[in-house]
Amino acid sequence: MAAMSLPAFSATQPVESSVSAGVSNYKEADIPRRHVVGGDNRRYDIDIRQFRLLTPIGNRWSVDLGVSQETMSGASPWATVPGPDGEAGLIMSGATIEDSRTEVNLSTALYGEDRSTAVTLTSSREDDYEAKALSLAAEWTFNGDLTTLSAGASYSDDVIEPSDAALFGRVTSEERKTRSVSVGIAQVLDRLSALFAGFSITDHRGYLSDPYKLRDVRPDGRLERALNVNYRRFLPRANGAIHLDYRFFDDDWGISSHTVQSSWYQNVGNRFQIVPNLRYYSQSAADFFLPIDNFVLSTDISQSSDFRLSAYGAVTVGLKGIVQQPRWSLTMSIDRYMGGEQYGLTSGSEHPARLDFTLAAVFAEFKF
Amino acid sequence: MNSSTHSQPGTYVGASIPCVSRAWRALFVTAAALSLSACATVEPWERGTLARPEMQLDPNTLQTGLYEQVYDSKEASGGGAGTAGAGCGCN
Repeated sequence: MAAMSLPAFSATQPVESSVSAGVSNYKEADIPRRHVVGGDNRRYDIDIRQFRLLTPIGNRWSVDLGVSQETMSGASPWATVPGPDGEAGLIMSGATIEDSRTEVNLSTALYGEDRSTAVTLTSSREDDYEAKALSLAAEWTFNGDLTTLSAGASYSDDVIEPSDAALFGRVTSEERKTRSVSVGIAQVLDRLSALFAGFSITDHRGYLSDPYKLRDVRPDGRLERALNVNYRRFLPRANGAIHLDYRFFDDDWGISSHTVQSSWYQNVGNRFQIVPNLRYYSQSAADFFLPIDNFVLSTDISQSSDFRLSAYGAVTVGLKGIVQQPRWSLTMSIDRYMGGEQYGLTSGSEHPARLDFTLAAVFAEFKF
Repeated sequence: MNSSTHSQPGTYVGASIPCVSRAWRALFVTAAALSLSACATVEPWERGTLARPEMQLDPNTLQTGLYEQVYDSKEASGGGAGTAGAGCGCN
């Protein structure tokens, strides 16, 4: 799923226009050679460019335009097979995979005295994938502007047309539809702290398998639920703010997960912030996950060796520096993600495609 | 892996989700209690700290979008803070 919009602490119109832009690089660590039976061991390297314009229109409206463009190259797992030593090994694609994705979001919001409603249209295009989405969101602030209720609904219509379909016997064209609803409450607790709790249900229908894997058969429906809690507190003595976030997720594929994230925003003087952050993630495996592809199993029976459906955990450590001026801000960040079965809360076997990546980003925002 | 848990394409038989399981009930009650407890009156002139950039739910929309895109495509989980956006071939 591409980016979703977070509700705010209050349903108020932006008071000024802002333009922001970001440049980032996402790079996955190479897979150790001993785990690769065939193909290239270099994984994805993705450059991302983002742009956003947010502006009030008159006294009651705002327009929010977002554009994101990604270019990616690298190899991805095609199959998991028994290696020479009996352990699972990977057949990878060649390193010639190159793709790009462009996403455009256009949102308009109408503000009343204590409420807002917004409509967002999203288009996402890749060489082999196209998605169009519509989402509606509403927020209502009451209780002396201390409480905000939010609700949203979205629908996405996706088409998958894998490249080289005839050459490799892949599906030629498939569809996927996603419906999602969410509710949330934001509450000011006191003059130094606030809390948000949100719940969403997402229903995917259609072709949910990975067409590029040699054997990947997933159910044609998936129902997901997620509960999110975000806490913000400012500590005057330390001149900093702590962010604590937790999410519980489960679905009817048998996957459940816990995500805990904390950030500390340390003010240094009036114009600079240093923000270390730590994130922990753990998930159980899908019911149909297999550590090694079973090519004897009927193609009517679900199976997948995708590492993203295995039981594992991950730790992310990150550091962010922010220069905050009255009319502009500059943010630089670097995050290091380390995944593996040893970090998980539930037991799982080592997957040769376990993921480590580095994400470096620079963002600038101007207000006018 | 027990093959009896495998589901047929075209059918919808993963692990069942009961309407409201015990764990979900506990989470809802906890979230509701946290939301409704300690709701002190905060006068408008006392809200300067809450308006600081580092106190926002989403201090940097572009960066939040980037993180969501990366984590949603590399992990099996997503959602909770809003509705899903447009799909992508990355997952």
